[in-house]
Amino acid sequence: MTGEHVEVFLTGATGFLGHYLLAELLNHPRVRCRVLLSAPIFKSSDRLAELLEQIGLDLMALIAEGRVVPIEGRLPNDVHQPDLDGVDLILHAAGNTTFRSSGSGEPGRTNVEGTRALLSLARGASVPRFVFVSTAYVCGDRTGHQEESFLATRPSFRNDYECSKWQAEALVWNWGCDTGIATICRPSILFGDRKRGRATAMKGLYVVAKATDILARAMDEGDETNRHQIPLRILGRGDATCNVVPVDWVAQKVCETALQRADESSVHHITNPDPPTHEEVKTWLEAHFDIGGGRFSDATWPLADANHYEDLFYSLGNICLDYFRNGLTFESRCAESIPPEHRLIDRASFLRCLNYAQESNWCRAAKVPLNLRPPAGGIDPAWYFECFLPAAVPRSTVAKVEELTAIVQYTITGSVGGSWVSRFERGLLMETLVAPCALEATFEYRLSYDDLVDVVSCRKPLQEVFFHGSAEMFGDVERALKMVPIIGEFLREFPVAGGERSTTSPAGVAC
Amino acid sequence: MLTEDRIIEETVRIQGSKRVLEGNLAYPCEQASCSALIAGPHPFLGGDRNNNVVRSLSDALASRGMVALSFDYGGVGGSEGGPENRPAAMSAFWKDGAFGEEESWVDDTGSAMASLRQWSGLPQVLMGYSFGCWSVAQNLPESRAAAVVLISPNPGKHSFGRISSCRSPLLLVHSDNDFTCSVSEITDWFDSIRQPKTRIQLAASEHFFRGHEKELAGVVLGFLANHGLLPGADGREDND
Repeated sequence: MTGEHVEVFLTGATGFLGHYLLAELLNHPRVRCRVLLSAPIFKSSDRLAELLEQIGLDLMALIAEGRVVPIEGRLPNDVHQPDLDGVDLILHAAGNTTFRSSGSGEPGRTNVEGTRALLSLARGASVPRFVFVSTAYVCGDRTGHQEESFLATRPSFRNDYECSKWQAEALVWNWGCDTGIATICRPSILFGDRKRGRATAMKGLYVVAKATDILARAMDEGDETNRHQIPLRILGRGDATCNVVPVDWVAQKVCETALQRADESSVHHITNPDPPTHEEVKTWLEAHFDIGGGRFSDATWPLADANHYEDLFYSLGNICLDYFRNGLTFESRCAESIPPEHRLIDRASFLRCLNYAQESNWCRAAKVPLNLRPPAGGIDPAWYFECFLPAAVPRSTVAKVEELTAIVQYTITGSVGGSWVSRFERGLLMETLVAPCALEATFEYRLSYDDLVDVVSCRKPLQEVFFHGSAEMFGDVERALKMVPIIGEFLREFPVAGGERSTTSPAGVAC
Repeated sequence: MLTEDRIIEETVRIQGSKRVLEGNLAYPCEQASCSALIAGPHPFLGGDRNNNVVRSLSDALASRGMVALSFDYGGVGGSEGGPENRPAAMSAFWKDGAFGEEESWVDDTGSAMASLRQWSGLPQVLMGYSFGCWSVAQNLPESRAAAVVLISPNPGKHSFGRISSCRSPLLLVHSDNDFTCSVSEITDWFDSIRQPKTRIQLAASEHFFRGHEKELAGVVLGFLANHGLLPGADGREDND
């Protein structure tokens, strides 16, 4: 500890989780970060600057302020002890997520040898605390309730990645027994952030979504089979779960754990207490891609008699085996603060992540443009509230209004109308449901369909519709008024392009 | 009453001490004898110079031979400035109903008053609606106002201590069902302030006076006529 500051040495900062960890660490004014970046440092620091810029941070300014110190090096061989002098805490988030071992030596080289080297340097530099980012799946193929404790007995693993993380955990735990305080954080499968659904690596559930996209594209190209009756066997059971967690939530929990005072070594699951089931994911994906017909099957991989559609779907590998598990739950102290009615990943957040994934062309596009055009039939309120808002709000000013917590109801009158309720929490649009629903609105806007179209396509300011027109506010009118300029900012940032009036009643929505 | 073709309306640029504001100047073709500045509601509550109350007052005053200036506060419409970090300001306002930079909107009101005085050279009536009441009141000591009109102020939220620094006739108009301030709160406050003053309560017009704009404008015109501030009107006191 240097005076009031905590000196953190962070590895893996340019990774999907790593740059969120850095951002979260920097939320704590006492923290200064030494960031290990691979050579050549100008290239890796450019990459880090680009990643941080996308989440609103200026790396150059942080370096100028002395809050971030880039250090060139690479594990396992090219990091030096002086780089760790005076460090209070190592946060080791560098990892390789290759599932099967290859000639490069990965994932063992980074995950095991890299950790071994860093622990040795930590010992030499007398660093008192080592926080290791592992995975919840070090439990291998065990089922049942997994406790937050070190697994002294080697489990049977499903892939080399899980094995390498368990080996690294063993090294860290032993370091904790004889040298310092070891903290092991085990996140489950990373998913997009809660604000925008943003992700920079698309593994896990994204692979399942991408496989569905491949299938849907084949149907778009004129396949004669009814797209809602595709003969597809989905390997696994509908009640199996995929323990996905928002990346920014993981970063928050890891940093909270790392910066808390600790007197002894410990293990923490950063997992989802109510993860989506295979059946839910299937329903969400089918609705999103407007396909259907898949059924769960206990057939085994590889499918000996795979049909054309199954060949397409499984062209990315056995996408379900590694991500969906039956009968596996995790003890997680950090998840205890989540209210039971709030899911970390629900339909809205899943679709938000999916929209981001598609718009980024599955992470191939450098920057994600928003191209949400209304359906051909004109602006459908259901499309606007259930698809457009969840996709656009996270990128808008609304998401920066951090005190904004409210439940907003929009009632659209007229034949092409309906009622929807959005729950905002600290600027995040957590969910939008069709009313009536369990959410009790803080206030309600009621306007005609024609006014809605004029407002969302920026033909009329919302103020004009309210003060001169037919819109009404109910409930907490003061809150409703305060929301008007916030919505105004959003409408200016994200007008619906080419919005025409719809003449037919909405028949359901496929985002 | 003047017909629309006898009223000139132009968009004007108001040079403030720190920024240029955009305003709307409405005036009769004939020589006017009095001017009015209308300060609108809080920008973070959807306030701009096209607000229904602001607009209806401006139209009514110009049609009765007065020069009326309404304007957008900094950061609204075509006006320069506004909070540097708008999301943070909106966030603070969402939480506390106020934030530090509101004082700059008070300055904007002062700039608009000065510009109107310079352009018209006429006696000036100061009018505020909602937040605009406070922004007007904060400028009263320097104003030499011919009269003051406050529409739906919220004395529970803003301090109106500076009202006492000006002895001009004061009109208070409020609704009997305003969500920002109860009738008892507003009448208690009104009873505590200095003379000369007039209070008019409108029925069922809420805070927004939607559908009651003409009635509201009529009340204001009547008050101005009673104080000899409308062309051709004789003065008459009617204290509440």
